[in-house]
Amino acid sequence: MRHLLPIILALVLAHAQPAQAAKELGIDGEQPSQFEARAVDVLCELTGDCPQDCGGGTRQMGLLTDDGVLILVAKSSTLFAGGVLDLVAWCNRRVEVDGLMIDAEITRFYMVQRLREPGTEKWTRARAFSRDWARANKQKNANRWFRKDPAIRALIEEFGPVGIPGAKIPVE
Amino acid sequence: MRKHAERLLLAAVLALGLAWAGPQSAQATNRVTVTGEVIDTWCRVTAIMFAEGSAHYQCAVWCAIGGIPVSIMDEDENVYVILRVGEDDVSAANPTIARIQAHQVTVEGDLIERDGVNYLLVSRIADDQGIVNVTHEDVGIQPFGK
Repeated sequence: MRHLLPIILALVLAHAQPAQAAKELGIDGEQPSQFEARAVDVLCELTGDCPQDCGGGTRQMGLLTDDGVLILVAKSSTLFAGGVLDLVAWCNRRVEVDGLMIDAEITRFYMVQRLREPGTEKWTRARAFSRDWARANKQKNANRWFRKDPAIRALIEEFGPVGIPGAKIPVE
Repeated sequence: MRKHAERLLLAAVLALGLAWAGPQSAQATNRVTVTGEVIDTWCRVTAIMFAEGSAHYQCAVWCAIGGIPVSIMDEDENVYVILRVGEDDVSAANPTIARIQAHQVTVEGDLIERDGVNYLLVSRIADDQGIVNVTHEDVGIQPFGK
């Protein structure tokens, strides 16, 4: 499978336009990439198990190119958050995305940084997680959301910050 | 007249069917058993920060609750993205999956390979040894500390 990665990436990038604004992160194998595709529920695309709303934000989302290449969207512009909530708004519709294609040899995925309706000018930053988190948690913003999130705090409280209850934490 | 209306209705139904954007068919799966560490896919694969074992546990929980895909990496560095565990098809921000971050597990399930990515439909977690990759003693908590 790994030997096919360069071919797959070349197919996708052949349709990609030069990105004007994707922020580069200096990751090995990253390539700024702006293209149009259909936003899809990955589990639906692979198995035919298809809730109408792509799972409403509970399932991993991907981008299906016109060549039939499925690209997993693993990250958004929100710190420590994926792109599910950005993509689910486009469930089964075409969207233009701008971001980073990460071809890391052992796997590949996409970081979405901006989205827009194809053929229009205005971009939306891929920060739906921040917006929804602040709303759900009745906060003004999602700054350091990962330190405040109730589900995270409950897990860290139960298992400790290194996942081993009672483990000695080195002084920093 | 009625026949004409029926034809119009049939055409509309067909058009709607064609417009439906669902997949053409389900992909072939292979039954597999995978043993490896549950990982925060983004941080581990991009190597953007230290992302192994206990040192990265906290961040791995942040990312899992943030909806970043959770995967299993085996000893040959094959990455398997988890899309389902049993009947639970929540693969984004699932606290149950976040609970096993950084654990060493053996799972049974169906593997679907598509466009350079291994997707895993876990049917059973056969073994969970907890965190065995104890890295925090050497590198502390990565990133940001406690």
